Amino acid sequence: MAAPTVNVSMDPTTYSPGEPMLLTVNYADPDNQRLTVTVTVADARGNRSAPVSVTAVIDPLTVTVADDSGRTWSRVSDNGAVAVFRAVA
Amino acid sequence: MPRVTVTVRDSTSGAATASVAYTVLPRVLGGYYLSGGADPTADMAGGNFRSLTQYRSFADAYIFPGYQRPWLITLGRSGVQLNMVLELKHYGAPDTGPQTFTVDGVRYTVPAPAMTIQQRPGTVWPKAYGYGQVIAGQCDGLFARALSQYLTMGFGVNIQLASELDTDHEFGTTEAGKAYTWAESDARAVRAVTYIIDWFTAKGLPQGSSFSVGLGGFDRACFRRTHPETLMDRLDFLQWNVYATSASHTALERFRRTKDWAVADLGPVALSRPVLIAEWGVRVAEIPDQAAWIATVPPAIAWLNAERGPLIARTNYFNSGWGTLRPKATGLAALRSAYARPPYS
Repeated sequence: MAAPTVNVSMDPTTYSPGEPMLLTVNYADPDNQRLTVTVTVADARGNRSAPVSVTAVIDPLTVTVADDSGRTWSRVSDNGAVAVFRAVA
Repeated sequence: MPRVTVTVRDSTSGAATASVAYTVLPRVLGGYYLSGGADPTADMAGGNFRSLTQYRSFADAYIFPGYQRPWLITLGRSGVQLNMVLELKHYGAPDTGPQTFTVDGVRYTVPAPAMTIQQRPGTVWPKAYGYGQVIAGQCDGLFARALSQYLTMGFGVNIQLASELDTDHEFGTTEAGKAYTWAESDARAVRAVTYIIDWFTAKGLPQGSSFSVGLGGFDRACFRRTHPETLMDRLDFLQWNVYATSASHTALERFRRTKDWAVADLGPVALSRPVLIAEWGVRVAEIPDQAAWIATVPPAIAWLNAERGPLIARTNYFNSGWGTLRPKATGLAALRSAYARPPYS
């Protein structure tokens, strides 16, 4: 199994008290894959059911954020490769 | 400096971490001054006013807290940071002669002020104790009197020496019949201010005491001349005043003018000091909607403090003269609203 990778960035890095701060997390894992399995049932006469899909994640990733000043960072978006967190300075 | 650390884990406990540090600037103290040195307690009540400017002349017998100003002690004890502007300027009391008085059992005689400042043509030039008089030790009694009163206050203050040296020197000065140019006056003031700070420091001051030198900040060369590193080493703040007196003036532009000169001209010691804006104001004649202009100040200060250079730490609105709030209630409401926002809260 390959190890995950992560990069984080803040721009700017200096804030006035009370200002919103955004943290961008770029992450990946070569093993991490998102699969969609679609099942259709057919009978001998060629009648087909409607397709049913199910999603499976291979080697799922969890992203956790810790701040040594005690600020709480909340996730505002996450597409599986880029997550954005927000906190108040 | 806070640091945020992100950990990414996969299903087999493989993990990667990365972190980034960031800076949250200290809150800026929103402050005030009320015309005539009047009691500002009612105006400040309930608002996020945490800083106050006051003006005293070394010539006056009551400097700390000032004549009939017990409220200053109450405000100071409640945590309001006081900027006490102490001036060699004589405020025009009828008697400008020599003074003899006793401080803690020691008898002092101080000669009449021998300098004139603010020598604008066509005006009466105010008197001030001369820089030469200060350096000769002739004003030590004034400093002893001020210090004795300061020690009874029970808390530390910032002592800003002079209100605006550039305003004082703009048209030269005269001491004991000898005229000095603007630049010569600046150099003499630096020596006198150094003397005064060294005099006070040698005596021992309350915890929380600090020093600055007063400038309007409207002249770049004067600002540079009055902030040599040897003096800045003794000072705790940079200081300048900010006024909007034209419809075209923006908060960002007005607050940044002197900062930009400082960043370009001053040394590393000076630039390590935070900035105390002893006065800022919006002149209603040119800017009738004072409230709208005041509302632009918090983002302007936040912007400037996010740039490189000295951090603006306190901004005291000057509700007098050019800054008079008219109508007062509307202006005060705007100030309260501004000081309730970042970077003030």
